[in-house]
Amino acid sequence: MPAKRALIMHPKDNVATSIEEIQPGDQVQISRGGVVRNLTAIEAIPFGFKIALEEIPQGAIILKYGETIGKAGRSIARGALVHVHNLGGTRARGDLEGRENR
Amino acid sequence: MSFLGYMRPDGSVGTRNFVLVIPQGLIAKSITDFVAGTRTIQTVDHGSGRTANDRERIARVLTGLGKNPNVASVIVHAASPGVGYPELTVERLADEIAASGKRVEVIDPAKDGGVYGAIGKGIQLARMMVYEASKLRRTETEDKHLCLGVKCGYSDTTSGIAGNPAVGYLFDKIVKAGGTAFFGETTEIIGAEQALAKRAATPDVSKAILDAVAHREALAKSTGLDIRTVNPVPSNIKGGISSLEEKSLGAIHKAGTAPIQGVLQYAEKPKGRGLYFVDNWMGSFSIFAGYAAAGSNLVLFQLGGGGLTGRTLLEGSPSVVAPFLWCTANPNTYAMAKDNIDFYSGTVIENQEDPAEAGERLYQTVIDIASGTRSRSETLLYTEPIDLYLEEPRF
Repeated sequence: MPAKRALIMHPKDNVATSIEEIQPGDQVQISRGGVVRNLTAIEAIPFGFKIALEEIPQGAIILKYGETIGKAGRSIARGALVHVHNLGGTRARGDLEGRENR
Repeated sequence: MSFLGYMRPDGSVGTRNFVLVIPQGLIAKSITDFVAGTRTIQTVDHGSGRTANDRERIARVLTGLGKNPNVASVIVHAASPGVGYPELTVERLADEIAASGKRVEVIDPAKDGGVYGAIGKGIQLARMMVYEASKLRRTETEDKHLCLGVKCGYSDTTSGIAGNPAVGYLFDKIVKAGGTAFFGETTEIIGAEQALAKRAATPDVSKAILDAVAHREALAKSTGLDIRTVNPVPSNIKGGISSLEEKSLGAIHKAGTAPIQGVLQYAEKPKGRGLYFVDNWMGSFSIFAGYAAAGSNLVLFQLGGGGLTGRTLLEGSPSVVAPFLWCTANPNTYAMAKDNIDFYSGTVIENQEDPAEAGERLYQTVIDIASGTRSRSETLLYTEPIDLYLEEPRF
């Protein structure tokens, strides 16, 4: 079965965006600027959703477009789906005002 | 040489040739329902109970639409609840529009036989004004006369990787040719403001961008809510966007790479040409009317749509006098709503084109529609009611 495709927007990114429906166990090919990386999806990654390119510890910065898009709310395994269940926004968080920044 | 447009007395160039009737309400609606080639703005925001700043904004929308290059001539009537305020008198609205050299006619129920009389007089006037406007011919002109406005909406991850970059290419091309382009949605540059501030033409503009974001973010925090309960909206999250920052970083691609010349308020006309950031709100039924009032003669909605299902008929134009284009890069959205979509750039994701090639195709589509081809939404009679972006409390 041919590898499924995902796009990486910037060399610093630790997530890629799927451009196909990816099933658990699928091989995923991520290419940018002639460099091709492969990894195995451990969860379903729907079209347009993000896959972790490496293990991301809890509290670590998640990068897309080379910029911060949030922090890991819990530890995220390589090949896992990255979305609202494990990525917390860091901006305009009225709910966190007056507390330690988590 | 570029598109075929209508030359106006103030040197601007229209992509359309309407007779506009303002302000909103029964009289304007009756005239525009009756006479072909006319437009009005439908909104409940008429100024009553609004602060002076907000009334001035309403006046800016009304006069701005009147001065828009897509309008040949204007009828102003004196029956809106807001006309008693100094900002919204018929004289002020009419005089400001007439200063652009256009024909402006005033109708007044108090002098023209009541509402029935005013409607009758308005219909007679509008018919002759439309007839007169139709004698004008399009002539070939240059890209510098294009003034574009963009919003991205129902965003998903296709917006940031393929849809917005195609619009960004278009913006760069028009700005390079001496034209004007607007982008905005202050909430949706939170997380991307540093990148934009670096592109400001002057330190003052850079500060204005950062100030606009700081103000908006402070307001968001004052709610005590996680912004994600409001924005990204549910359809964004359903489409794969996980945070406001991610949405913002994808959204700014629609602004291209040109220097940012200034920060404008809603419906504010820029002093020069080039790329401008507008401190406005994302609402579809708000933002496009503001762009048109600031002088846009064509506007684009870059649609993600990953979170939409069953939307085979998309909204009618919310830009009053500016042709409104639907663009998408999401293959599923395109398949679902094909006959609504003016431009598709999912080809970038499908490896058939790079963003520049898609952008060049978008440019050709824009030139074609600017020259008179109808946008898909212009084939509908239905248009959306407008929600003016007014920020101050009501009393």
